[in-house]
Amino acid sequence: MARLKSVWVYHVDAGSCNGCDIEVLDVLTPYYDLERLGIKVVPNPRHADVLFITGPLTRQTRIAIRKAYEAMPPKPRIVVAVGTCASSGGIFYNSYALYNTSPQRGRDRLRSGGPEMIVPIDMYIPGCPPSPEEILYGVAQLLGIKEKKMKGEYWVALPPEEKPKAENEVEFRIPDRPIPLRYWLTLREELRRVVGYYDRDAVLDDFIALVGKAFEDENPREKLHDLVTGYFLKEKDSRIKVAMRFLENEFWRLYDEYTSLGESMRRKYPVTAGV
Amino acid sequence: MAEAVSYTEKLKKWDRFEAEKFSKKAPVTTPYPFIDIEKPPEYRGIPHINPEKCIGCGACVNACPPDALIMEWDKEHGIKRLTYNAARCIRCARCIEVCPTGAMEPTTRFEIATDNKEDLVEVVEHKLAYCEECGEYLDFTERQIEYVKAILPKEIFEMYALDERIGLTQEAKMRKTVEKLRETEGIPVSAFMLVGEVKDKKGGEK
Repeated sequence: MARLKSVWVYHVDAGSCNGCDIEVLDVLTPYYDLERLGIKVVPNPRHADVLFITGPLTRQTRIAIRKAYEAMPPKPRIVVAVGTCASSGGIFYNSYALYNTSPQRGRDRLRSGGPEMIVPIDMYIPGCPPSPEEILYGVAQLLGIKEKKMKGEYWVALPPEEKPKAENEVEFRIPDRPIPLRYWLTLREELRRVVGYYDRDAVLDDFIALVGKAFEDENPREKLHDLVTGYFLKEKDSRIKVAMRFLENEFWRLYDEYTSLGESMRRKYPVTAGV
Repeated sequence: MAEAVSYTEKLKKWDRFEAEKFSKKAPVTTPYPFIDIEKPPEYRGIPHINPEKCIGCGACVNACPPDALIMEWDKEHGIKRLTYNAARCIRCARCIEVCPTGAMEPTTRFEIATDNKEDLVEVVEHKLAYCEECGEYLDFTERQIEYVKAILPKEIFEMYALDERIGLTQEAKMRKTVEKLRETEGIPVSAFMLVGEVKDKKGGEK
């Protein structure tokens, strides 16, 4: 195998957006330095042991990829798909410009698409684009330095009030929170517009803890205001400050709305009884 | 007030590997493939489905731009499968944004290169709810019903008598409504307008 010797790589673009190409270039810079692993990018597929393919395989590049693959020496002939597009067709998988002959047009379980339509692929490096570490990991795995860490998972989500019997069965659990679920859902959705998805859950958990503490007091409205102010003074991130004030106002608005809900419903629809 | 810890203090700090590994000065080139490293906590790795919280509503399937998440239906066996494939995923985190239960969890996993695409597939299998009146499976899962029960206030449950009706198909619900209306308000609806009987009539004609 070529693994013991230094591996020569030929990099070919199958219609990629250049994101993955730039990351492959990045791997060759002094910080990541792929060449210390004995890897060299060569300008000719006839010298290459490994073919790096980026891109979702457009119809225009199909013949070029095929030719490059056939020009490689027959012995190792390893193909590495760099990027999501090369692994499965990526976000372009059902585009008119792509060459995709999979029977379900790329919607099957393995999401077939990309260069695997015409050449066998030995290493998939998904990522859009894969960061230099991801490419390094893929190459290291090819050389036998690192081991494979991913494993397919199959979970059976049990209906509520059923206990798991097999190993992959998981029972249903709604996390316990001091406020009702509908408050949590509305606040969470509103908070997405204020701080975004990344900080959202942590900020909301902090706020819920404060609410739980405030409702132990006699006057929850003032107590919550005090608590939020205390949080406000300690916090350095102004985004989080704004979010906490926003949450406080939003929470009391919801609270008033939901506590008067039954009354207003009865006024609006006097005859009910399951219609 | 005093025990409140600010959010910034609680944020997970990212220890770059150079700092602990080399006391004086880190080398120019990363020693990465020969050591283990961690990505920063904001790094968007592949998302992970938490099967404990997932209710199978399919919000993530609607939001996913490259169809890395697909819902498969098997109405005969009453099963709905949520399939995630990291080979198609572009890490846009839209699924994390829209998930109503927080079952889609962001991770900083980056070591996902593999030689077999089967390793990248993650499947969560859900059981569909069953309507005993019609003898067929509904479009939604039992977990979804449980979640709706937890969300809706009691007044709305009473108003629409949802306890009995939530596990029925659309047809059975319509039939029940018509029957109830005839009973309570005495609307003179002809018998052929009842949904169940229309269905029987059609069957007879065919």
